[in-house]
Amino acid sequence: MKAWQIVFRKELRETLRDRRTLLVMIVVPVMLYPVLLITMEQLLIFGMRNLEAEASPVAVVGEGTAGLEEVVGRFETLRLVTIGEDLEEAIRSDSVTAVASIRLSADAESNRDVVILFDAAADRSLRGRGELSLAVEEWEDSLLARRLDDSGLTRSFAEPVSVSDSSVARAEELGGYTLGRILPLLLVIMTLLGAFYPAIDLAAGEHERGTLETLLTAPLAPRDVVIGKFMTVALIGVVAAGLNLASMLLTVQTGILQATAILGLEVSISPLSVLVIFLTLVPLAVLFGALFLGIAVGSSSFKEAQNALTPVYMLVIIPAMLPIFPGIEFSALMAILPVAGVSFLFRDLMAGGADPVLGTVVLVMTSLYALAALTFAARAFGSERTLFGAGSGDPGPAGRSLTERLRASRARASVPSSGGAVLFIALTAVAFFWGGVPLQIAFGEIGLLAAEWLLLFVPAVAFVTVGGFDLRSTLSLKRPMAGQMLAAALVILGVMPLVWTIGWLQTFILPVPWELLEGLEELVRADTMMRLVWLLLLLAVTPAICEEIVFRGVLLGGTRGLEPWRVIVLNGVIFGAFHLSFETVIRFLPTAVLGMVITWSVLRTGSIWIGALMHLLNNGTIVVLASIPALGDLFSDPDRPPPLWLMPLALVIFAAGVHALRLMTDPPVHGLEAREPNVPSPETP
Amino acid sequence: MAARCVASGSYTTGRTLIRPRSPRVSGSMPVPPVTSPMIRFDRLTKCYGRLAAVRDLSLEVLGGEVYALLGPNGAGKTTAIRCLASLVSPTSGSTWVAGTCSQDDPVEARRKLALLTASMGLYERLTAVELIEYFGRLHGLDGDRLDERVRAVVGLFGIEPFGNRLCGRLSTGQRQRVSLARALVHDPPALILDEPTTGLDVLSGQTIYDFIDRERARGKAILFSTHQMEEVDLLADRVGVLRDGSLVAEGPPATVVAATGEASLARAFLSLVRDAEVQES
Repeated sequence: MKAWQIVFRKELRETLRDRRTLLVMIVVPVMLYPVLLITMEQLLIFGMRNLEAEASPVAVVGEGTAGLEEVVGRFETLRLVTIGEDLEEAIRSDSVTAVASIRLSADAESNRDVVILFDAAADRSLRGRGELSLAVEEWEDSLLARRLDDSGLTRSFAEPVSVSDSSVARAEELGGYTLGRILPLLLVIMTLLGAFYPAIDLAAGEHERGTLETLLTAPLAPRDVVIGKFMTVALIGVVAAGLNLASMLLTVQTGILQATAILGLEVSISPLSVLVIFLTLVPLAVLFGALFLGIAVGSSSFKEAQNALTPVYMLVIIPAMLPIFPGIEFSALMAILPVAGVSFLFRDLMAGGADPVLGTVVLVMTSLYALAALTFAARAFGSERTLFGAGSGDPGPAGRSLTERLRASRARASVPSSGGAVLFIALTAVAFFWGGVPLQIAFGEIGLLAAEWLLLFVPAVAFVTVGGFDLRSTLSLKRPMAGQMLAAALVILGVMPLVWTIGWLQTFILPVPWELLEGLEELVRADTMMRLVWLLLLLAVTPAICEEIVFRGVLLGGTRGLEPWRVIVLNGVIFGAFHLSFETVIRFLPTAVLGMVITWSVLRTGSIWIGALMHLLNNGTIVVLASIPALGDLFSDPDRPPPLWLMPLALVIFAAGVHALRLMTDPPVHGLEAREPNVPSPETP
Repeated sequence: MAARCVASGSYTTGRTLIRPRSPRVSGSMPVPPVTSPMIRFDRLTKCYGRLAAVRDLSLEVLGGEVYALLGPNGAGKTTAIRCLASLVSPTSGSTWVAGTCSQDDPVEARRKLALLTASMGLYERLTAVELIEYFGRLHGLDGDRLDERVRAVVGLFGIEPFGNRLCGRLSTGQRQRVSLARALVHDPPALILDEPTTGLDVLSGQTIYDFIDRERARGKAILFSTHQMEEVDLLADRVGVLRDGSLVAEGPPATVVAATGEASLARAFLSLVRDAEVQES
């Protein structure tokens, strides 16, 4: 038996003895899931019947009420009651659900104006209003029929156009369409949950129980450990997904759900579709299993792993939810998006048919993502840093001499911790949202200026000084060389057209907030020199100082102990998210990319001034270009493609800038060295 | 960067090697001749950033010898042991197990090594016997040979009464016995025992002492770390004292005590460690 098979067998045996895994894998889908659906359905039906069983009390008031009262009297679902003068009070006090108030018109035909009063916030009232409307329609019909008779005209005379609609969707298609919006999300979540706990148990659990070191002293390669564990997690995930699928199908397809019959929704998913769905669940389970394992192995406890995996969980849910939203079609782009493609494929398969080409793309891409996740997991298991923590067996504070501990403690205090820095950014973002936005609304441009300085700059400086951190090392206040500044300028000028292209490409998939963009365009366009100077101060100089001190200052200073690529991605993503709002989703990616490029440059040079310069150049260029009438329109229309001739030039400038910066700087350091810059080098023995 | 192994076979450190004392357990098993070192640290240095956890450590343990590695917490014992088991890569230098360089052939080195870690980690949802079998299989045992070895270690450490109980339900003493059985199921020539008697009662501790004596008699090289000086007096042929990652004293317990001018090994150890604190302050 191969080493990975031995690990796999053992892990499977142990996992199957874990009640929590069994609960999520078998009990939830087999028992709770249909029970939950049926309970919800029963509650719904019970509620509907309760409402239907009782005739709605309604009143008819005003002039010439007899005709309508007679019609209402014929409705079994309505009960005519008498009310006082105050109609609203009668509805609010629940003594009547709806009131028809009739007023005779002064015209020759003695037409009637009918107003139906009801309470839109009460289910009973809504139902009463519906029934009363039907009675009014019937009354109107009878009045019209009488008039037509009196005039010697036929009914068809009053109905020159007769409209009726008919859906070509078969009942099973309708059922599939409706359920296909919800079931894929549930399937993805259940597959994810199936892999979630075993991954934590098999990776972080080894740390917590102290068994990982024991295991790795056995004569087997880390690769074998990963494969054995990963196979277990993936198998559990696949089984959980399969059981969920089977359980769902049994629940919705065997007709035990009365709601589907009531709504006229038949659910009939073909065996081929079920097979394709299951086949797609396999790489999905593999993807989740490997990803979770790779992340969880770096955690030293269950709790830590849960904290680390929860954001991933949330990130997975978002693409899985896309098919729920109307208007987003299953396109090639969706097919290559991780998780989203799977969710769309499931939706189309449940609705009766999916594009086989797109289906194949989803399968292939999900398998590729799974492979990448597996490689990541294998690397994580082979890494000393991941297995034994950041210090990799560093004796730790408890294990050091008092002087060493004091020295390390002082050194650690020189920069904030990564958690502290991220917490600061989170609090700043909340303060900026609740304080900065009202300031801008109340005072316009002055409000924006105040928000930047008061809610970004001041808190950042206060955080570093009050926290007792070293201002210079936390904020990277190193003076840059002239050559580095020139190279950074090339980098930002080169990346701007590329970022522009990213923004333009996004318009194909994301809604463009036209009103907001028009507002922004107005904001950044200067028509006089004084206005241009003011805008440069407001939109270029101020963010270059205030936002840089927060992101490339505190955040970068606190996270510099991480691996450089993590620092760059984290900083860019947080920077992008900071500029995010419901209307400006489209700004996230371009801003995040800019943030990453600036972070790389600051990390490389060790100077925040480089970041400030790049930020200044980026924002300043936009303000200047937008103020040139001939160019303003070119930039303000996001639908318009960026000039293609600019791209090769931009690439060359960008590459030249990056190359020059690399030549002029050393690679960034990380780990203990970066986190503890004041720890003196031990004497050479 | 992982250190490369540049030499194998003969090795000198400049310190005189002390011939191991005679085994205390008499029996039919012959005392093997002292040959090449079974465990060897060759100028091992391991740094984490700018902090050196182990500095230029050279020591060796011969077959049939029990070596006590002493040092305060954070002195570098665990890091040195992790390098030997190829769990971490040395910054420079190398480690050897029965002629195999841990850095060049980590899997083979681990095959020749039994490592009892201080954490005593066991899989809670496996029974004691299942756990021992699992590690036996990982070490390449199967079929009759596996059964035979599992029976042997189960018998050796008195595991039969609780062999079918889940490890999560075992007492500390029982867990330690299972840990030992797990580490030794493949019967390797070199044993590393990191604080093997921590948390054990007197009876369980005696089981460990008896075991160490027995393995010495079988020609195994045993390196153990402990904070109990009486254990060292009782078991060790030689001791090495680590301080701040460097070996500051080495030799038979009596020699180390004499060199410090103290009355006991415990006092000798304290004086060696306190020297470091004084120098630092």
